[in-house]
Amino acid sequence: MARPLSKRIRTGVGAYIFLLPHLFFFALFVAAPLIYGMIMSFHDWRLLGEPRFIGLDNFSRVWNDSRFWETVKNTVFFSAVSVPLTVVLGVVLALILNQKMYGKLWPLVAFVSPAFFGSIGILFSWRWILGSQPAALANYYLKQIGLISDPMSWFKSATFAWTWIIMITAWWIVGFSVLLYIGALQRIPQEQYEAAKIDGAGPWKRFVHVTLPWIRNVMFFDVARHVLLAFGLFDQVYILTGGGPAGSTRTMVYYLYLVGFERQQLGRAAAISWYIFMIVIAFGLIQLALLTQSVRSAEVE
Amino acid sequence: MRIKKIRRSVIRKAAYSVLVWLLAALWFVPIFWMLTTSLKPTTTAITEDPPQWIPSPMTFENYAAVARAAGGINVGRSVWNSFVVAGIATITGLLVAIPAAYALARLRFPGQRIIFWTYVAILAFPSVLFLVPNFFIINSLGLMNSFAALILPGLGGTFGVFMLRQYMLGIPRELEEAALIDGCSRVRILTKIVVPLIRPALVTLGIMTFLGSWNSFLWPLIVLTSSSKFTLPIALVRFSAGWGDPYRGIGPSMAAAFISVAPVLIIFVAFHRYLMRGVSLGSIGK
Repeated sequence: MARPLSKRIRTGVGAYIFLLPHLFFFALFVAAPLIYGMIMSFHDWRLLGEPRFIGLDNFSRVWNDSRFWETVKNTVFFSAVSVPLTVVLGVVLALILNQKMYGKLWPLVAFVSPAFFGSIGILFSWRWILGSQPAALANYYLKQIGLISDPMSWFKSATFAWTWIIMITAWWIVGFSVLLYIGALQRIPQEQYEAAKIDGAGPWKRFVHVTLPWIRNVMFFDVARHVLLAFGLFDQVYILTGGGPAGSTRTMVYYLYLVGFERQQLGRAAAISWYIFMIVIAFGLIQLALLTQSVRSAEVE
Repeated sequence: MRIKKIRRSVIRKAAYSVLVWLLAALWFVPIFWMLTTSLKPTTTAITEDPPQWIPSPMTFENYAAVARAAGGINVGRSVWNSFVVAGIATITGLLVAIPAAYALARLRFPGQRIIFWTYVAILAFPSVLFLVPNFFIINSLGLMNSFAALILPGLGGTFGVFMLRQYMLGIPRELEEAALIDGCSRVRILTKIVVPLIRPALVTLGIMTFLGSWNSFLWPLIVLTSSSKFTLPIALVRFSAGWGDPYRGIGPSMAAAFISVAPVLIIFVAFHRYLMRGVSLGSIGK
């Protein structure tokens, strides 16, 4: 029995009144920017002065800019290492926290709360810990345990700079993933573990056959989130290395910041953001495909 | 026999707990070190060898330096700015997202599927895509260097709407249907029935919005120009840079950094139960 048309229109209009406030801001700050971003990328667009249409000039200039591709390489490298590392670390920490223990609040605060801290405060602390003087915390203790023999200037070497950026980032953002995985782990019915135990499955087999299928969807969500975060890498580089040494830690967003807001070439920066968009989509699809495959093959095994 | 077994399991549990506590302590070193350094005179902090975990002498001079804006940047004011911006962003964000989520969860209207899936698809877009055009739009609206520039763009975000919709789908329809038959209006149903039922989701989303705004860096860095408008992260960077060499101001800088971390820590401890439930349920839709 179809409802009368007039009533359908009434509820339709009512629904749009509920939706309208959000739709307004969505149109202004999400939809319009997508269109504007397109238009701007075809123009020589500065903050001051008339924009000038230049066709695909911005895109081809970025395409031919070896410094841009250097930043793409850096960011892809960072994501390829940092995303799997953070996801695995998140699962491991969640498994650790999901055991029976006393005083669970403290480890929960320690592992999870950094994800809610602002980047600048914690990066200041890390920069101070990683100072180049012999009594800086990292230099002092790493020498004590024999990992280094001389005090290091960590951010003078591209390899060490990246190592620290990756570790600090994982330390910082993994907490949110830990929350996600704890939530997922707690939904697993205990009987399934009992049954697997009776079947003689060891801890690894139980993880693969019981835990993994239950947290798979959360993992997909988490990977997608981390890909987006990784390609947005900016604060860490801005505070710790300033893109150095010699541009080796410059990321795509850092490059966009330099072009768009230090040199105020908004048109070209808009073109860069479309490149970033396409690279993120491609990388995200590859990552998800790999993960689907690895989770499937782990379950079949 | 049984007592022995129980005792062994208690010992095992205790040993495991201590191990995890120690790992947690190691994990939290950057925060401890920030606090410790903030309680030392700067000259001690940069010259002492080996590093000291308990500051002696202990001093609050770094916090005093932050309070009197020693680096030329008023951090105290920026704390207030951040608080105001994050507070307004949270309240307005919820006010805008709640009815939108309700419409998408419960009402039937033309274009619903398109709007919902557009909102979901947008979640997969990197936020940097919106940076340059939004900078231009904010500039065109004459909102550069204002708090509105920090608050308004976030209101168009779709994550909150998506999250609340997923939650609302989880509450039984019967309650609302009974109220509808009694002649309740949709607005009353939303405010009297739905909102109380989704409180955990609202608290979680509220905290996430608040902290997202409190911690936001790149966007305020671009749109704020005068130091009286600076939010805390921007003020931190400028405050620390004001000493020239970062080591010369390490004490006050760590004090300012700890000021940015402490409220978040308190919020986290106070609401960690909500966060644990809200994050895992809301963001994946079960």
